[in-house]
Amino acid sequence: MTSFKPTRRTLLKTGTAAAALATFGPGILRHASAQDADLAPYKSAQIDWQQVSGETITVAVIPASYFENLITLAPQFKALTGIDVRFEKIPPAQIRQKSVIDLTSKTGTYATHAADPMYYALYAANKWVEPLDTYLNDKSLTDQAWFKLDDIIPAWRSANGIDGKLYGMPYDGEVTIQVYRKDLYDAKGLKPADTLEAYMSNAAALNTPNDRVWGAALRGVAGAGQNMYIYPSIFREFGGDWMKGGKLTVNGPEAEAALAWYVDIMKKYAPTAAANWNWPDIADAFSQGTVASYIDAHSSASVINNPEKSKVIGKVAYARWPKGPSGKRTTSIWNWGFPINSALPEKKRKATWLFIQWAASAETQARTAHRFAGPTKRSGVNRTSVWKDPDYIKLMNGFGENFVEAAMGALQDDTDVDWRPRVPQWPAIGDTMATAIQSALSGQATIKAALDDAQRRIEPMMRG
Amino acid sequence: MATTVVTSADIASEAPRSDFGRVLAQRERRFAAALLAPAFLALLATTTFPLLFLIYTSAFRTDLAMPFTNGFVGFENYQVLLSDERFWTSLLVSLVYTGSTVALQVIIGLALALLVMDMKRGQGWFRVIAILPVVLSPAVVGMIWRTFMLAPEFGIVDFLAINAGLGSKNWLGDPTLAMVSVIAIHTWQWTPFAFMVLLASLASLPEDIYEAARLDRASAWQRFRRITLPLLRPAIVMVIIMRTMVALTAFAAIFTVTAGGPGTATEILNLYAYRKSFTELSIGYGSALAVALLIVTIIISGILFAMRRAR
Repeated sequence: MTSFKPTRRTLLKTGTAAAALATFGPGILRHASAQDADLAPYKSAQIDWQQVSGETITVAVIPASYFENLITLAPQFKALTGIDVRFEKIPPAQIRQKSVIDLTSKTGTYATHAADPMYYALYAANKWVEPLDTYLNDKSLTDQAWFKLDDIIPAWRSANGIDGKLYGMPYDGEVTIQVYRKDLYDAKGLKPADTLEAYMSNAAALNTPNDRVWGAALRGVAGAGQNMYIYPSIFREFGGDWMKGGKLTVNGPEAEAALAWYVDIMKKYAPTAAANWNWPDIADAFSQGTVASYIDAHSSASVINNPEKSKVIGKVAYARWPKGPSGKRTTSIWNWGFPINSALPEKKRKATWLFIQWAASAETQARTAHRFAGPTKRSGVNRTSVWKDPDYIKLMNGFGENFVEAAMGALQDDTDVDWRPRVPQWPAIGDTMATAIQSALSGQATIKAALDDAQRRIEPMMRG
Repeated sequence: MATTVVTSADIASEAPRSDFGRVLAQRERRFAAALLAPAFLALLATTTFPLLFLIYTSAFRTDLAMPFTNGFVGFENYQVLLSDERFWTSLLVSLVYTGSTVALQVIIGLALALLVMDMKRGQGWFRVIAILPVVLSPAVVGMIWRTFMLAPEFGIVDFLAINAGLGSKNWLGDPTLAMVSVIAIHTWQWTPFAFMVLLASLASLPEDIYEAARLDRASAWQRFRRITLPLLRPAIVMVIIMRTMVALTAFAAIFTVTAGGPGTATEILNLYAYRKSFTELSIGYGSALAVALLIVTIIISGILFAMRRAR
């Protein structure tokens, strides 16, 4: 199973967007066409944007508001470069399969697609995508001083690189943070947890199922982007090392302690149903006031702050991942990046690179976030400079207390490139691990047996 | 109907025209073949060719994650499969799932059909309502059950269980309950099919035999046992065969409800083949699993067909 990410949120946002567009549509459109002419910030780059004018490329994205905003700005890109971009929206559950099939068959259907950072090892091993340094170092294609690669969040860049080479340019991303109900915490005199131990005891203190409030919730449903989105952080925080002595290892004492913590908190203090929940279910339960705290992607903040559905607006605060016994905090390295399909002819590759450069540039990032004219703004911009922009901070702080500090702190200090094992065999490993975690959670196997079995199944995959 | 007697004179009178007739028949056959060809080719292209290609693929190692290891391996995938614990578990899960849903469908379907046969009014309405689950897409059924019915603390089934004093249960999170749940869902969706077929057969049973049985003072049970069941036998066997073939290859509902979980508790063989092929990207081994499923289905249906002919 692949992750089933922003469906509900997307639905909500598209709904809100459609309603808003109907109301303010004419105004927004006038605004968008006014921006068309405003290409000066791009033209200050010392490259010829029009060099492959007339090309057409297809870009696969997921139906999420952060890509919708980009699609809205696509006419500006066309005006700037003369390149036509056709967008294809594919649900997150299918985009990996579809792009892998496209890359394997070398048909070059998608010039670029929203790519999972965990897939770059697979892409690079097969030479399905281009190393981006060729394009970054080509002076006719990239004005480095204008593009400022270093400004892009380092953790996401390293997540999209293999052996120091960048294969995908981060466009939008997220970090995992603690989300908690400030009112409930204050009533009991609790503080957001600094350690996993404290997180457990907070959950215990707030767990009152008879009043329909549960202490905590973590993703429980099996899948590489689901329970295997949360568990790797805990594993790393307990001191786990995926490549112990160069050999992929998923069992052992650290893994057992990490899984035991996860199973413990899920069994004791999470709603029973959470064993089958993914992030939208958790965010929904939290916004209905039935969960006191959860740890998940910072981007779910928009769901729990949706005025139409949420009952907890104004009562939400955030903190960084609690530290593990190893003293480390480990958040996710998740981002949607854009690689270049190797199967394309040269001109189309150039066009694709120009598109990627445009989408990842600070200017476009700001125009799709706090400077976006539509109702939904992005919360996962790829640039440190935008994260420090007062307007962006103002927008983000609307999500609740301490949001920017928690997310920024996590982005800068808590990211860990080896959050998950970055090997080409990841799709199989992630699925095997996800199943093992769930069988331990459901009591189908003991923690040790589940992990040992996963190790046994993973070893032949690594032998090649 | 009047019986036509063919005499030798008739045959003799046909003889002079036979040459012409043969040519005509041949032409007609050719024309029929030409008409049939497109459909036949389409059928070959959409059923036979993919099947052959599946078998061909299963003889290769085709691992999208490690293409450098790909190549012809002969029967190796099948050898691996025989020692793959998860294959045997999923086969067992498939058999338990199929056996219990088919048995339940036939028993409940037959009971309902017998009840409805005796209904004086409202039979039509009952049929319409009963058929509803069948027309729903299994994926939709799965979503409905997962969110509205089975969610602990929030779902209808759990609400009923709490009120019945059973307490809240983790319907999809507990290995045994998850299995019971997916069996219940499949049974809920497909019992109407068995019900409709059996009802139609029941309606066609000759009334005079029952009349005679009643005169002989046969009890209701005796009538059911000695008359109804034997007469319904062909229909019941047909239902069992059709439902077995579908249940063995079930996918959508289980995929949406549990995705084979928790752990591998509800991972039927079809789901395992899917995960191997498309999640783990091991197309070769996934194909071998699919071929194994095909063989199992053929064997089981073969046995059922043989049973149908017996007696």
